[in-house]
Amino acid sequence: MQVVAEHAARPDATEPLLAVRNLRVEFPTALGDSRVVLRGISFSLLPGEIVGLVGESGAGKTTLARSLLGLPPVPGRITAGEVLFRGTDLRALPERDLRRMRGKDLSMVVPNPRGELNPLLTVGEQIAVVAQVHLGISRKKAREKALDMLKAVQIPDPRRRFDAYAHQLSGGMAQRVVIAMALVCSPSLVISDDATSGLDVTVQSQILDLIRALAEKQRSAMLFITRDVGITAHFCDRVAVIYAGQIMEVAPRHAFFFEPSHPYTIMLLAAFSHSPELRHRWTVPDVKRRTVEGAAGCSYADRCPLAQERCRTVEPPLAQLGPGHFSKCHFPVVR
Amino acid sequence: MQLAAYIGRRLLFIAPQLLGIVLVSFLLIKTIPGDPAVLMLGPTATPEAIASLRAKMGLDKPILTQFVIYVKALAHGDLGTSWQTTRPVLEDLLQRFPATVELVTFGLLIAILIGVPLGLAAAVNPTGWVARVADIYGLSAGAVPDFWLALVLIYVFYTLLGALPPPLGRIDLALVPPVQVTGIYTIDALIARDWEAFGSSAAHLVLPVATLGLINAGPILKMTHATVEKMLQSDFSRYEVLCGMPPRTVIRNALRNALPSIITIMGVLYGFLIGGAVLVEIVFSWGGAGQYAVQGVLNSDLYPVLGFVLFSAIFSLVVYLAVDLIYFAIDPRIGH
Repeated sequence: MQVVAEHAARPDATEPLLAVRNLRVEFPTALGDSRVVLRGISFSLLPGEIVGLVGESGAGKTTLARSLLGLPPVPGRITAGEVLFRGTDLRALPERDLRRMRGKDLSMVVPNPRGELNPLLTVGEQIAVVAQVHLGISRKKAREKALDMLKAVQIPDPRRRFDAYAHQLSGGMAQRVVIAMALVCSPSLVISDDATSGLDVTVQSQILDLIRALAEKQRSAMLFITRDVGITAHFCDRVAVIYAGQIMEVAPRHAFFFEPSHPYTIMLLAAFSHSPELRHRWTVPDVKRRTVEGAAGCSYADRCPLAQERCRTVEPPLAQLGPGHFSKCHFPVVR
Repeated sequence: MQLAAYIGRRLLFIAPQLLGIVLVSFLLIKTIPGDPAVLMLGPTATPEAIASLRAKMGLDKPILTQFVIYVKALAHGDLGTSWQTTRPVLEDLLQRFPATVELVTFGLLIAILIGVPLGLAAAVNPTGWVARVADIYGLSAGAVPDFWLALVLIYVFYTLLGALPPPLGRIDLALVPPVQVTGIYTIDALIARDWEAFGSSAAHLVLPVATLGLINAGPILKMTHATVEKMLQSDFSRYEVLCGMPPRTVIRNALRNALPSIITIMGVLYGFLIGGAVLVEIVFSWGGAGQYAVQGVLNSDLYPVLGFVLFSAIFSLVVYLAVDLIYFAIDPRIGH
């Protein structure tokens, strides 16, 4: 919140850094038709803001993250919508220009980094190449910068790790390397895609603190994607919930945790709750997700304990409940 | 230090490996019907003459005894004598093996020069016309027999165009081959500064090398195409694209990751071609080691065949060792 306040003082604070409008991503199927993975996604990020995006696996989190960079997972295609970055539509840019922005202005922290790093190059070299390509600096300068980044992400013995290969690193260290790579060009937007999954809980919190500290230091905005709603409580300015390729609820952090309104949000929070009573009340036997594409009504209706007849026939709008608080539900829970 | 120890260990294993190979081929060749004594003396020989020649050649002794005698001689560098050429096998092979190595090495180089760039281009742009050409090429290179292609090339470039020398050996019959240093005529001619011999031997190389190159580019192309394509779809390539790396860098890194597979197929082809190029050798009267060995098999001439097996086994083992060393150099995950 402090970061937001800082930016609020600046004249351009009302200009969002990233504005996504009605983004739609489809995956063609073998039968010739296609499966819609993201439908009508809209949200925005202010400069320096940290927004959490929570959802279960298969909700479209990774697809969204990669689609923002114009690279939806194969064979996905962006079929509609705009991705405005500082007012320019990235979808309209030629690949060449978009490539120059990836890793420099918008960068991504990926999960499972040991599989994502090139096995034949030292990690220092890989960080240096990113800096060299995007910043147009000499190889020597780039290597110095890479070493500085390795120090910044608090890798023990950075000089030695510089010459290490991905397979010689632990998962936590590899994660730090990927963070160093994402931040080496001081991007104005960092997308963190489930960056801490697969790490020990202790390492997880170290990495989270690190990402936040570095992003704040560089004044990077961040889209923080995770399955763990608890993590977002620690440092996100706003939190959005994604379900079946749609944003169900967006709210400032405080409202999100203290006045959740969408039944799915409440279910997510209940799943992480220590209260057995709450968990019991909001745990719904997992009904098979709707198989009929484009069926009328709310996509959560089949699993929703509060669903009524209207939910199955009319799709609810993303309606405003309070300042910055939106919920896509006919019957939002209001306390 | 570690590397030297590794190489030493590998070389140490070569001796027992060779012994095993020689034993197996010895037994196999002995099971081929046909008596060299009968063949040597001709149809008019008396049984007594045959028996005495058999005794002289040691053919009346038990097989294992014969093997021990052979290995003992081998230890002194004696590979036996060919009854067809009536010369020591070692001498024959030292002359013929380099001919085959020359042919096969240049052939493989051409195959690499065709296969790798074409495979790479096809992998980078799987829907482009290069990919289609590569596909058709890969198929036809696997379907066309090498000796047939050789005959077509001879017909076009010698018979019709007259641009290249006739398929009769490694150098113009009127020329004296250069003094043997490596046994590879082109290199020996360069060493001797004999430009005429160099020109002639190079011209004689063109068609057989083109034949081997065109045929064997097929598997190299397919392997390059498949592995580079796989690498370009792998997580690290996607991640490089996410980081905004230029396509050139992404492709170069993918190729580097694909190299071990490509080099493996090259190594396998190299070892295989020493014997596998024999049809091309015959078409061009190359006088190489493969041709020599086939003559040996057909005429129950045991020692040339064993000598050839020994030479090509050593050659293959050295090639495989080199391939493994290249793995070491490329991939930090191996051997550390």
